[in-house]
Amino acid sequence: MRRSSNSNRIALPLTLLLLAAAAAAAAVLVVRGAAAPGLVADEAGLMSPAERDRLAEYHAYLLTDHDIDYRVVTGRDLGEINAFAVQRFEAFAETGRSASGRGLLLVVDATQNLVRLEVSYALEGVFPDAFVAYIEQRQMTPFFARDRVADGILAATELIVTRAQHAAAQAGFEGEAWALGSGGAGATTTARLGAGAAPASPTPENAGHGERAAGGASAGRTPRETLAAYFTVMDARNDDPDLALYTPATRRMLRGWVMTPAQMDNVVRSYRACHAEAPRLGPEGRRAVIRYPIAERACAPWFFEKIDDAWHLDLTMMQTAIRFGRSNAWHFDLSVRHPYAYAFDDWTFDSHGFPRRRRP
Amino acid sequence: MEANAEERIARMERDGRITPEQAAMLRASLGPPRTPDGEAAKRRAAGHRRWLPWSLVALVVLVVAVAFAGLGGGPETVQDVTQTLNQPGGHGEMNRTFSAVLAVALLLVVPLLLWVWLHNGLVSKEERVFEAWAQTESNFQRRADLIPALVDTVSRYLKHESDTLTAVTEARGAALEKLADLSETLIRRQKEAAEILRRGGTGVIEDETLLAQLYEAQAEVGRGMTGVVAVAEDYPELRSSDQFLELQAQIEGTENRINVARMRFNDAVRDYNATMRQLPWNLVAALGRFQRKAYFRSEEEAHNAPKLEFE
Repeated sequence: MRRSSNSNRIALPLTLLLLAAAAAAAAVLVVRGAAAPGLVADEAGLMSPAERDRLAEYHAYLLTDHDIDYRVVTGRDLGEINAFAVQRFEAFAETGRSASGRGLLLVVDATQNLVRLEVSYALEGVFPDAFVAYIEQRQMTPFFARDRVADGILAATELIVTRAQHAAAQAGFEGEAWALGSGGAGATTTARLGAGAAPASPTPENAGHGERAAGGASAGRTPRETLAAYFTVMDARNDDPDLALYTPATRRMLRGWVMTPAQMDNVVRSYRACHAEAPRLGPEGRRAVIRYPIAERACAPWFFEKIDDAWHLDLTMMQTAIRFGRSNAWHFDLSVRHPYAYAFDDWTFDSHGFPRRRRP
Repeated sequence: MEANAEERIARMERDGRITPEQAAMLRASLGPPRTPDGEAAKRRAAGHRRWLPWSLVALVVLVVAVAFAGLGGGPETVQDVTQTLNQPGGHGEMNRTFSAVLAVALLLVVPLLLWVWLHNGLVSKEERVFEAWAQTESNFQRRADLIPALVDTVSRYLKHESDTLTAVTEARGAALEKLADLSETLIRRQKEAAEILRRGGTGVIEDETLLAQLYEAQAEVGRGMTGVVAVAEDYPELRSSDQFLELQAQIEGTENRINVARMRFNDAVRDYNATMRQLPWNLVAALGRFQRKAYFRSEEEAHNAPKLEFE
């Protein structure tokens, strides 16, 4: 009798504990599921569960921030991919989550090695076919070629977000709820799944951008010269990691990178409107920073290291210390210590690492 | 017509890359949809059909209202209520009259409302066909607007190459000649397709022969554009340039839109035609002079199509 009473005394809290644990687990699952239920249907198994979650989370932000319902479907032997995309889009439209009819559907057919991004009526003006073909060919498929499907989709999503921000800032979106349907807008491209890196430059991708910038690829006598040379190289879509203007550590890092033509275009385009301040030299004159006014939030600073009397671009520290938020504004990762911090002594940073002007 | 397209045509004509006749053909085949009169006539006819049933309903309601009003008699009449009071086991005079009027009203109004409902259902389905066709036509226009850009881009590149690379002038000259032939064919095909649309107006969708001709003409335009694109395929620098990538994406996108619009048009026609053949819709269709619509498909597809349209 006594033993029974004791066991009851233990059993009750244990049961409550188990119930609480089960409830917590269920809550986690619900929160995860709520992030993006059904946004990513990887039927071909091209992504890991973690990658799927990351993608779904990012696309859920797209829905929250821009009311764009972006779904991803991968599969095998899907038939005629354009027709498949239209039919699947119609099915999605019935359960569409965008109040303004903004929908995107990415279809990857692993067997046919094709990718298609289908665009709803409401987004045709913001994402015309040419833009869709551009991000597929110049941004997404270079990652696919290295078997990095999720990274390719995410990289393309970044360009989609940038364009959506511009559309929202300028004329705004057009869109009605009925327009979630699709009339066949978008583009289809060879996915290049697992095809490996593109051949060395000059490639067909950079052929339209003039001469390979071999002459402009050396490190400059001033940080400004080096930066100008880097923009010239990017404009020529020269993805050679061994250019003389990089520091040795940067060259080692870039050799393992996928640098897409669209990324290079984006560097040139996004810095065109930035107004660089005078270079800020470090205490020993071996380091330099070119930064931009705080108001120019998308213009991240550049770091340079002086080697043999020439200024070399140090992208490793930029890669380690600088992050970009959802609004495309740069900020520091405050957990990272870097030797270029001296150049920001007159600024303060909020808890997320976003710069603020120091009050006098 | 887009200003851009006009500029391109003028430039090509000025540079001697297209003849004045070709320029005139291109100009004539571009521009806004060319069937406003036919469209308006069709809408007027649909509107005419729509007011007829409602006027009949109004007439019947009027008759019933007058009959009800007649029950009360004139204002000076003093009603002898003993005549109309119900007696045990019998019906009053007032109830009998009311029942008769109600029966007449029900006999007239209910079938008429049913007819109106059926008629409007058919009108909705026909509207869906018109909408789907308008979408198809707009995509034809979209493709037509791309022709000057395509011919201009490819011919300008070839001419530039031919002028600058003297070592390969002969080969480039042959390519230019080939392009000129392809462009001539493409422009003529586009003109023919535009003429069929102009000739048929909106009524083209009720004429199977004309629609089959239009299908073939549009298919020829598509093939013509593919031929010009194929010339560019021989030039990696042109093929991989952003400008050509953009143009190619627009062409492929337009072809896909045409396919989607054609599929949806044929679905709408299938639904409408099948409904028209069913009872009691066929009676409404005959009285309302609804016309069967043609499918937009090739003769081969028509030949292989199932005969029965009921699902």
